[in-house]
Amino acid sequence: MNLRNKIKLESLINKIIIVLISVFLLSLITFFMSRLAPGDPLASYYGDRVERMSTAERMHAYERLGLDGPIIGQYFKWLKAALSGDFGISFKYKQNVMTVIAGRLLNTLLLGGIGFVITFGLALLLAVACAYRENSLADRIICRIGTITSCIPEFWLSLVLILFFAVMWHLLPSSGAYAIGRANDIGSRIEHLILPLIVVVMSHLWYYAYMLRNKLLEEIRQEYVLLARAKGISKRNVMWKHCVRNLMPTMIAIMAISMNHILEGTYIVEMVFSYPGIGTLSFESAKYHDYNMLMVLTVITGIVVIIGNIIGQTISEKIDQRMKAQDKMKDLMEIVSHREMMDDASK
Amino acid sequence: MLRIGLLSNILEVKNLSVVFNTPEGRISAIRDLSLSIGQGEVFAVVGESGCGKSVLCKTIMGILPSNTEITSGNIAVNGKEIVGLSDGEMCRVRGVDISMVFQDPMTSLDPTYSIGAQIAEAVRVHDKKITADALKKKVIDLMDAVGIDRAVERYSSFPWMLSGGMRQRCVMAMALAQEPKLLIADEPTTALDVTVQAEILDLLKEIRNKTGMTILFITHDLGVVAKVADKVAIMYAGKIIEQGLCEEIFARPTHPYTWGLLHALPSFAENGRLYPIPGAPPVLKEGFEGDAFAERNPYALRIDYAQEPPFFDLSPTHKAATWLLDERAPKIQFSLTNTAPPKTAHDIKQTEKLMEIHDLTHYFRLGQNSYVKAVSHVSFDIYKGEVFALVGESGSGKSTLARCILGMYKPLGGKAFYDGIDITSKRRTRKDKARISKEIQFISQDSGAALDMKMTVRDIIAEPLEIHRVYKNRKAADERIKEIMKKVGLDEQLMQRRPSELSGGQRQRVNIARAYVMNPMLLVADEPLSSLDVSIQAQIVEVLSELKKDHETAMLFIAHDLSMVEFISDRVGVMYKGHLVELAPTKELFRNPVHSYTKALLSAAPKPDPEVEKTRVSTRYKKSLTEFMHEGWEEVAEGHFVLKEH
Repeated sequence: MNLRNKIKLESLINKIIIVLISVFLLSLITFFMSRLAPGDPLASYYGDRVERMSTAERMHAYERLGLDGPIIGQYFKWLKAALSGDFGISFKYKQNVMTVIAGRLLNTLLLGGIGFVITFGLALLLAVACAYRENSLADRIICRIGTITSCIPEFWLSLVLILFFAVMWHLLPSSGAYAIGRANDIGSRIEHLILPLIVVVMSHLWYYAYMLRNKLLEEIRQEYVLLARAKGISKRNVMWKHCVRNLMPTMIAIMAISMNHILEGTYIVEMVFSYPGIGTLSFESAKYHDYNMLMVLTVITGIVVIIGNIIGQTISEKIDQRMKAQDKMKDLMEIVSHREMMDDASK
Repeated sequence: MLRIGLLSNILEVKNLSVVFNTPEGRISAIRDLSLSIGQGEVFAVVGESGCGKSVLCKTIMGILPSNTEITSGNIAVNGKEIVGLSDGEMCRVRGVDISMVFQDPMTSLDPTYSIGAQIAEAVRVHDKKITADALKKKVIDLMDAVGIDRAVERYSSFPWMLSGGMRQRCVMAMALAQEPKLLIADEPTTALDVTVQAEILDLLKEIRNKTGMTILFITHDLGVVAKVADKVAIMYAGKIIEQGLCEEIFARPTHPYTWGLLHALPSFAENGRLYPIPGAPPVLKEGFEGDAFAERNPYALRIDYAQEPPFFDLSPTHKAATWLLDERAPKIQFSLTNTAPPKTAHDIKQTEKLMEIHDLTHYFRLGQNSYVKAVSHVSFDIYKGEVFALVGESGSGKSTLARCILGMYKPLGGKAFYDGIDITSKRRTRKDKARISKEIQFISQDSGAALDMKMTVRDIIAEPLEIHRVYKNRKAADERIKEIMKKVGLDEQLMQRRPSELSGGQRQRVNIARAYVMNPMLLVADEPLSSLDVSIQAQIVEVLSELKKDHETAMLFIAHDLSMVEFISDRVGVMYKGHLVELAPTKELFRNPVHSYTKALLSAAPKPDPEVEKTRVSTRYKKSLTEFMHEGWEEVAEGHFVLKEH
């Protein structure tokens, strides 16, 4: 194995270790925090019956749900089970957590993931269109419309869309992820996705587009644009080949940070459209002390965000190699090791 | 209709006018400018910042920003009219007929592409059918042609891996890709070190001699002009005011501005004084009448304020636009108008040490277990009241050294004593700290960035007084501020202005006033001139030497411009890659440089004299660091120390 591959392997292993440590810490913190919150987890499992339970019954119930003993002990019990694939049962749904999530996770990934891609794709196109003719009428109109639409609340927009498209014109369904009994019908799923997607995209698009536009305008004022133009490259090619490429690291960084929107950011939309996703589920799990559910959702979100960030960083490094190497000064000056430095200083 | 005479002219600009549309109104950037450049000439356009020389380049290239407008005029390149061409048509002219080299190779290359890919782009954009192999071969040939060694290896290097000189060579390789008729070089060496500048200028001349390419060379440095130019045009406020052969301009400057520009240079200083042009270049609204230079011209006639002077021919090649050449004008002999008494020769009693720097070493951390040596075992003293200059190229550690002295960095090894106080020690008493921050003041390179744009000039100058509670009440402080402002040549009325309303020269004066208001014992000036224009530089140097006369202040003057160093300093230390290689009294150093790096540095600095420049060969200095072992110092003459070489 040559040196280069060895370094690559090492950095890959480092990254994996970092992911594992982050996920471990995340689960630990969530576990303790959720248990410190006031409220009775039994209430979500037994409902009103809890009030009529005797102390002995309560103790028994705690034991059954794995809520007895010190918290740290509970945690390791949970961790042990989780590592072998058993994430416990949901207190509210009284089923295995994974069974509850499985169907809904796909729904949310569809809505959030497609929304994410469309949002950033459109944002980039709008940014380029605006930056291409800065301060032109089109640019100003797009910016104004953007400001106005980003002020429209999601729930209101959802209701208006339902009113027109579902109630008045009967074009699109108003709720659910698919027509009853047609879970595998792609056409039905797409039909159900359109309205929620519009809301998800509209609520985030302008903010990102505006940010990218301003960053792109900064790039356009760089001197390398003049040099590229002086070479005889057309304005459009300079924009796509040079400016947009230099914009990418910034855009990817923003995308990586907003990764969690895919999973959790669609809560209001899911509520209004009665879309069975995990956005509502995570809200409920925190509200009703559904500990096992909360843990799984948090860990999944955490993993998605961390992996998203790593992918983002890798792509950015590929595009702008300066990020990887910080040895700009190598040419100019003498490089020494720590020991040599200390020897030199004590001379 | 073709005129025979036109054919030999590569660039023909006729009555060109360009305006900027700004919120304050329409501002003339170029006013009725005409010039023609023949085949194979190096034509230099000289002027201060804001005179429109960069706008001229961009107009010829057709890459003006959108708020500019060509109001009249024609530009013909190689007989082809280019004003009014669409952008698509211009794309076939740019890079093929004309190409351009920019000022700062640090920012003009795209950081995300390898240099090979960027040079290849310049080839492929005009030759879409070229095969990958042929393309790569062509790129490597181009890199060889501009003197990039190990071209095959460096093909996939990124711009930030290369030194400034190498980057500028890459930009030149791109410019040469299609063998254009005309090369526009917009201050191609301003951002480079003086030794690198000499190499790039030699390369430009070599290319011209080999290919017969025509070069339009834009610069503000008259030394560089003397070195490269065949013909020179002096530009002021968007207009060419004097034009002629290089020798004619230097031998017989006729326009008062040209004359002033030349005599603001240290080489023309007499009796130890510089003769700066007063004032600053104007901003001209469209429709301005009269001579734009009249305001700053001590010889201005009444007609200068009313009517634009036409060109008067002095010889077939030399012409100037000034009313002084009209037969009715009074005959004027230019003379040095600065009547103040000559500077008294400095007697530095080299007995009282103000600052002792002993074996100072500083490293910067790069990554895990790797460090760079920024300053390496430097020792010298600064005596009371002297100007000690540190010269060296970028990366030689001069700024790091200054920061160690200011206590901004804690050096790794060695000591720096200020009047017996160890600056490098962590255990300084509060009293010592207060004394040091009071008595050592600092002026930085970028006059604009050093000032808080939201503060008034008065508050900026008063801030150190307030921190050290020098004056009991505001009135006494204001008195002192007014006094110091007068000394540095700032009008009292500017007290309530903000830095954004001031010119670059005025800002640097504010910086100086802020430093001098404390009556410091030591002033550390880190390249205080390098962001300023020639005529403004001279003004600032005048202010500094005035202050030097009145105060007991010693100065650590950091610079890369050797001519100003020669003029202002008492002793000079030369730094190379963190080492102090030579230390000598100024006159002695310039007369008898001993270390081979000092020799290379001195030989690389261009002099504003075409007779000298056209024949001079600059020596190169390339030494690996391993040869830089500490062999100890050698005193070659009294007070003249040199690091021993192999």
